[in-house]
Amino acid sequence: MNKIFLDARGMEYPEPLQISLSHLQSMSNEQYLYMLNIRKPIPLLEIAKEKGFICFTHQDSNEIWHILISRNSDIILEELLDV
Amino acid sequence: MFSQGGLSLEQAPPISVVLRFFVTASVFGVLLGLFLIADSLGIVSSLSNNKSVIIVHTLALGVMASFMLGALFQMLPVIAGVVIKMPTKKAMVVHLLFVVGSLIQLYAFANASTPLLYFLASAYLGTGLFYGLYLMLKELVKIKDHSSSSKGMIFSLVSFTFAIVFGIYLLLTLGTYVEGTLFTQVKELHYSFALFGWLSLLIVSVSFQVVEMFYVTPKYPPFMSKYLTLTIFILLLLKTIAIFIGVQTELITALLSILFIVYAGFTIHRLYHRKRPTSDATVWLWRLGMGLLIVSMLITLLDVVMDIGLEVKMFSYLTFIGFALSIVFAMVYKIVPFLTWFHLSNQGYMEAPMMHDIVHPKTVKKHFYIHVAMLVTFSISLFMDYTILNLLSGVLVLVSFGWLFYNLIYAIKKYNYTQKYTKKIEW
Repeated sequence: MNKIFLDARGMEYPEPLQISLSHLQSMSNEQYLYMLNIRKPIPLLEIAKEKGFICFTHQDSNEIWHILISRNSDIILEELLDV
Repeated sequence: MFSQGGLSLEQAPPISVVLRFFVTASVFGVLLGLFLIADSLGIVSSLSNNKSVIIVHTLALGVMASFMLGALFQMLPVIAGVVIKMPTKKAMVVHLLFVVGSLIQLYAFANASTPLLYFLASAYLGTGLFYGLYLMLKELVKIKDHSSSSKGMIFSLVSFTFAIVFGIYLLLTLGTYVEGTLFTQVKELHYSFALFGWLSLLIVSVSFQVVEMFYVTPKYPPFMSKYLTLTIFILLLLKTIAIFIGVQTELITALLSILFIVYAGFTIHRLYHRKRPTSDATVWLWRLGMGLLIVSMLITLLDVVMDIGLEVKMFSYLTFIGFALSIVFAMVYKIVPFLTWFHLSNQGYMEAPMMHDIVHPKTVKKHFYIHVAMLVTFSISLFMDYTILNLLSGVLVLVSFGWLFYNLIYAIKKYNYTQKYTKKIEW
């Protein structure tokens, strides 16, 4: 699986949503989005779920959110978590 | 942002719901500019008695309330996670009644001898605004886990309800439908609830989420986000009681001023501790707005302890208007490009224009300069009564809102063009 990495921690809203949606729109089954953010991106997750993507979120001990999204429902996103 | 309990941009209303209010606000602003120009040229001198009330209501109702209602229809689902069902139809009803009511009210102020106009104004405005408030409040009070923003929005909307009730009393008094024995007291409360309550509380509560998220700033201290809006609202209620029982309200006014100064100070501090070193014009507008709020509240505070004279008092009102307009412009220039891009992108238009293609940062910068020039000219004209300065102030108001109107129409055209001429994909 190819990781599309997006560190959105210093980005001003709605830049993270804008970039991640453009990644999702062109994402293949062999790719997944790995995003770091300081807050849980509820809008992105809702849109992704509505469009049939699978999502996994995890908040690490530094309160950073790890957000993983893929079009491929056969993969287990939790296994790709990098903490 | 966005309440963990359920933002929903998915459930956000169609873009037309928001833009109809924003376009209306800019049209009222343009009308205000034309009125000021006409006034400076002596064309509307017959209205001199009601000039200030016409200006204040064109600004507070036509401009500010339009912006706020539009922003609320959009932001309630986003910030508070509440959804108004069938928003297009409901917003249209509110909008129609509101616009007709506002125009009748302004016409009534200009033709004070027609009592029926005052009655019609209160009927249309009352019905439209109460309906809008009912739609929003009934959803807001259902929230189980309130954020500081959703709580603040409730206080703001309840304050607006008070302001409208008092406003209707004033209109009916002017129309000689009621005796109006409490006219002076109610007038003060009408202004307090409209400006300190509705307008300022809404800006404060929205800023608790928006400043941190849009500009990646440190969080507001919890004591502030938790208790500020509640404290302001309680002070406004105490002021109401004090006015009706005939007790002095200077202390309450002083406390309110101090609270707003502290809030504005914290906001400016946050905006200077952003993670990004560069600032766009919306950041400048926020800083300017907060600076003007501090100036306005310092003068209000001074007014409590000494006689400051009419010009300085007027300067305090002007800086308050400057504060509210600066924040509203900052919000509009964030909301409109985002919504245009978001709705198109979510509908699957791969060639959806990016935010800076819809409203370019340089365009906002130009508006910032026009806005500052307008405020400076107005301020000078308060202390030096020259026709040329008054004329220039009116022209700058016209240019400011005309520029905004143009930018809104441009965004709408981009939106329609993309829908009509570009390819849509299923994704």
